Amino acid sequence: MNRGPTLRKAWAWWWGILLAFMLIAGMRLVLPLPFVNEILIFSIYAIGCSFLLGKVGFISFGQPAYLAVGAYATAFYLFYFGTNPYIGILWGLAAGCAAALLVGPLFVRLRSDYFALVNLALAVIVFYLMQKVLAPITKGDNGLWFLTNMTSTPVLDITQPQQFFIFAFLVGLVVWAFYKYLDDTIFGACCLATKINEDKLQFLGYSNFRIRLAAFVIANTTTALAGSLYAVYLGAVSPEITAPSRTADPVIVILLGGVGTLYGPIVGSVAYTGMKDVISKLIGNWEMVIGPLLVIIMLAGEKGIWGTLEPWLKNVLFRRRNTAADDRDEAR
Amino acid sequence: MNAAALLSVNGLSASYGSAKVLFDISLAVAPRSIVACVGRNGAGKTTLLKTIAGFIKPTAGTVTAGDRTLIGLPPYDVARLGVKYVPQDKKVFSDLTVRENLELGSYATRDYNWDPVTTYFPKLKVLMDRKAGYLSGGERQMLMIGRAILGSPQVLLVDEPTEGLAPSIVAHLKNVFRELSKTAALVIVEQNLPLVCAIADKVYALSDGAIVATLSGSDEIRVDQCERFL
Repeated sequence: MNRGPTLRKAWAWWWGILLAFMLIAGMRLVLPLPFVNEILIFSIYAIGCSFLLGKVGFISFGQPAYLAVGAYATAFYLFYFGTNPYIGILWGLAAGCAAALLVGPLFVRLRSDYFALVNLALAVIVFYLMQKVLAPITKGDNGLWFLTNMTSTPVLDITQPQQFFIFAFLVGLVVWAFYKYLDDTIFGACCLATKINEDKLQFLGYSNFRIRLAAFVIANTTTALAGSLYAVYLGAVSPEITAPSRTADPVIVILLGGVGTLYGPIVGSVAYTGMKDVISKLIGNWEMVIGPLLVIIMLAGEKGIWGTLEPWLKNVLFRRRNTAADDRDEAR
Repeated sequence: MNAAALLSVNGLSASYGSAKVLFDISLAVAPRSIVACVGRNGAGKTTLLKTIAGFIKPTAGTVTAGDRTLIGLPPYDVARLGVKYVPQDKKVFSDLTVRENLELGSYATRDYNWDPVTTYFPKLKVLMDRKAGYLSGGERQMLMIGRAILGSPQVLLVDEPTEGLAPSIVAHLKNVFRELSKTAALVIVEQNLPLVCAIADKVYALSDGAIVATLSGSDEIRVDQCERFL
């Protein structure tokens, strides 16, 4: 049986994701482990936000709320009930999905600007819930510390930072493959269509509400997954994770990387975390550099770093192949 | 109204906020027929189609397709019942390719047979991988009609299909509408009177949100007759 075309198709589908994650693996060789782990988790955190803004047209300043739901669900399990971090992550995923299903039917009916504001309000509510209202359970500003509660797990012991990196790496790979798959499906096209013209999509027999709700749940379950990973990686969770001052973080990351692009969240996370790391060593108020940089990126065409690099890279990588194909077409 | 009608509109009134725009509209669309609505700008033609399609909630009246009432249904359910609206502005999903645009139509109706579409509009075959945003006005109209006929709708509501199009494309669309009317009923809002008179079985003239004349038969459906209402 000739498997050539199948393998070629598989390679054509996977090569971008594999290349991106090979670069992350390469970064692990030259950069400190905490830095690379943070990039991996931040990328997963940002991809949900990127999907909502780039594919559905919803800007959300409330992502820390869903991050906190995932993180605290994992933390509650590991602090009060169990010791297995994998089960903690599953709890975080389930809680994120449930929270999105709870608020989604209300939020996705709103226009994008009100959607942004209501999510921001949710982030503030979750922050004060965790800091004040539920302080007897969440331990308020001190947070929940459960690093020593977690037991080692067989095969891949994610209580160890080195093995956690491998786990987060594999999770990231699956998440990226999933979002790339979504891009290729009718659902992905529906999401883009609802962003471009919601009325026209209804003419074809689609409910914008259902499409947006599904997209909202997918995006925020992914964000909650990032929260769970944070919780397990740090072994602690505090209300700081959803602080009002951090609500713009994922939006900044995807603006830096490139809104709606598959690799924008990775590039944005590397740029944001890197700048934060490097610049904060030089000056205290590193945000003073990020702010003007964002303004420059917006003025330069709103494409972000990856959005600008992608066409150039495609041109370089595929120029030879396309030229050969064009020659063949002309010969025919 | 007409018991044999595929689409019946009875006493339909609608408003934008406090401004009434449709007054007691009644019309009937027989199976495999072409009904045209003519009238000046602001006569309420587009509002009528949008109200039938479920985009505007009527303040009074009924709309039925076969034995199903369409009043109160969201637009996507009206579309699923086989009453498809092709809007005026030719705005396709610009970031999606022609193929993806058609796939959206196919998935919603579970009709993956694109032969009728490519038979009516052969040009779409060669444009499949082009982003819809790069199509010309005529190609966009072809795509919108092609997408709408997937799933074999019972009724097509087509809003100003020839506006701004070249005469050759208008002539092509005329033939397509004739062909389509062999399997579906069409309600066309149109200002192009030669086209209307060439294809319509019945013409409703609208003025200030109300039907002011109904023309049928080749004796009545003439350009000079229709011009009185523009």
